[in-house]
Amino acid sequence: MSDALLRTPFPERAGAALQDRFLQEALRIATTKFIDLRKESFAGFPQGEALRDRAREIKEATLQHLDVHLERLADNVERVGGHVHWATTAEEAREMVLRLCRDRGVRMAVKSKSMATEEIDLNEALEHAGVTPVETDLGEYIIQLAHEKPSHIIAPAIHKTKGQVAELFSRELKGSFEADPEILTAVARKALREKFLQADMGITGANFAVADTGTVVLVTNEGNGRMVTSLPRIHVALMGVEKVIPSMTDLVVFLAILARSATGQKLSTYTTLVRGPRRAGELEGPEEFHLILLDNGRARQIASTLREALYCLRCGACLNVCPVYRQIGGHAYGYTYPGPIGILLTAMLKGNESVRELAHASSLCGACKDVCPVRIDIPRMLVELREHLDREKIAPWTERVVFRALRRLLLSPTAYRLSATVGRWVQRPFIRHGRLRGLPLVLGKWTRTRDLPPVAARTFRERWKELS
Amino acid sequence: MTGRAEFIERIRREVSKTPGLFGASSAPRPADAATAAETVRRELAERWPGALERFRVEFERVAGVFHRVPDLAAVPAALGAIAREYDATSLVTWDPAVLGFDAAPALTRGGIEVVAARAGAEDEAARLRHREQAARARVGVTGADFVLAETGTLILLSGSGRPRSTSLLPDVHVAVFGRDRLLETLEQVGIMLEALHVDPDRAMSGATINFITGPSRTADIELTLTRGVHGPKEVHAVFVEAP
Repeated sequence: MSDALLRTPFPERAGAALQDRFLQEALRIATTKFIDLRKESFAGFPQGEALRDRAREIKEATLQHLDVHLERLADNVERVGGHVHWATTAEEAREMVLRLCRDRGVRMAVKSKSMATEEIDLNEALEHAGVTPVETDLGEYIIQLAHEKPSHIIAPAIHKTKGQVAELFSRELKGSFEADPEILTAVARKALREKFLQADMGITGANFAVADTGTVVLVTNEGNGRMVTSLPRIHVALMGVEKVIPSMTDLVVFLAILARSATGQKLSTYTTLVRGPRRAGELEGPEEFHLILLDNGRARQIASTLREALYCLRCGACLNVCPVYRQIGGHAYGYTYPGPIGILLTAMLKGNESVRELAHASSLCGACKDVCPVRIDIPRMLVELREHLDREKIAPWTERVVFRALRRLLLSPTAYRLSATVGRWVQRPFIRHGRLRGLPLVLGKWTRTRDLPPVAARTFRERWKELS
Repeated sequence: MTGRAEFIERIRREVSKTPGLFGASSAPRPADAATAAETVRRELAERWPGALERFRVEFERVAGVFHRVPDLAAVPAALGAIAREYDATSLVTWDPAVLGFDAAPALTRGGIEVVAARAGAEDEAARLRHREQAARARVGVTGADFVLAETGTLILLSGSGRPRSTSLLPDVHVAVFGRDRLLETLEQVGIMLEALHVDPDRAMSGATINFITGPSRTADIELTLTRGVHGPKEVHAVFVEAP
């Protein structure tokens, strides 16, 4: 994400999103539709709940022996002629891809949607090195042409209208195209078909990697994942280390709940299992297969606060139900991964400092936990993250002082009683329409974006005393 | 650059710091995958009519077009009808030896050119020729190694005489299959995948397995569902009744 955007404080980024009427409408329609599709899909699938428990257990079990599974995966990939690379940092991962491009004379790389490559800002690095990266997921292609970033994990261009896309395609692809999704999709098909056939390298992420067989699994609806892994002469797959699963038996458990959670489909259109480069008897497929295993801050969370975030399947279900995401969309978060899980992943990849504001962009309502296919307890981790920010003195001093004072107040019955009496008195000038608004000094920061109920005329304790 | 040993050591160190969040194990796998797969096949040999009906319903739900022919001899005519529906003058197919039928004689007589992949002819020239032909052809014909009823899914193994692009580059994909390919649940697919990987180099001649559930689709522009963004716009399944 651009530094300019991140220099704007989060409340202002969020404020701008709230003013954007088209974005508001697009978010409402998209997230509501995804919620309904998901609900419908699980309603007709009684075994879904047990499968979610099973999937959660597989993720936990895999983490408990992550080193073993990764070694097994690497051995099996190498056994079928693939190459495995180990990247501790984003920079190392970028450098590996760039070196491959240099050594193999790659001039164009086609990419299927991959959050991991977004995470390491691979496109910028490729462009800088003179390699043309072409995003081939339609949504990603649109935002690449528009020089923007994805706003949703699985629907990256939901913030754009068909009119904007028509304008963009007409300008960038030199034509005059109607604002009709059908026509625009056909235009993209034609333009991208050429790229698939010309590209030297295909770059993908991985939804899963099966340790037992050395298989990388890609899930797409468009078929671009298949193109990218079938046509260019080199295939590079980049995946976070937490994507490994032990066996094919585990894989089908995840497949049964992934698409249902993301789009309400029983299965996405294409699930592609890739085991190394093309075999001797095969007519098509890449000559070379490279798997890059990416740490980038993941390993240090295995035994730490954010461990559970390593279960994430990147389905996007928690974005759709989040009352904050539904209002501000993905861009306002400012990083690769938006939404409730995005806050945790950002903390994981970029450090706690980077979520100093975002850690509070949640009402802790728990809807994210309810819909997560692997039941990640996102609210718990957000609370722990807030605790860390306070303890590490990353939170603003005002916030820390206020909360410390509040703690004192809540721990002492006398102080609490006294504060109610004083508060009733002090609050008077700030009550408008029955709510506390426009508080002075640092407290004004709070009431600028939210109001508070005033202290009641009689507290519960006072009424209780009268009753007895 | 980080080496493998150093990388794994770091992970091992972190893993050993914690017992984890709760006691957990991965999904229980069949003790003997080959026997488990055999059991599934035996059960399906009796239950296939139910699986076929479920497949038809689910396949049509994802916009697939279902056909039923009495025997292999009737397949070329069915393919001819599909080709004419799309004004196709040429088809690309998997190797007839893999498919179990050769549609070329009948279709050529009807003025439709058939370009079949040949197992064993996998040099660079054949590669480029095939890709060009597949990109030009309107219809691609393949078999299906497993047909999953629960989700309306065709599962195809790539390999010798089974190019990946036949089911990908043409506008229309037609998969021809018999009753012995039917499975009911994803769980059974899991058993089949386990069985294939007991000795994968012998069981499969290619590097990919594709699950195909309906035509290529996207909803990336204003959530409007649109077909054929990269892969086929139409997917047909031809069921051959005779065992």
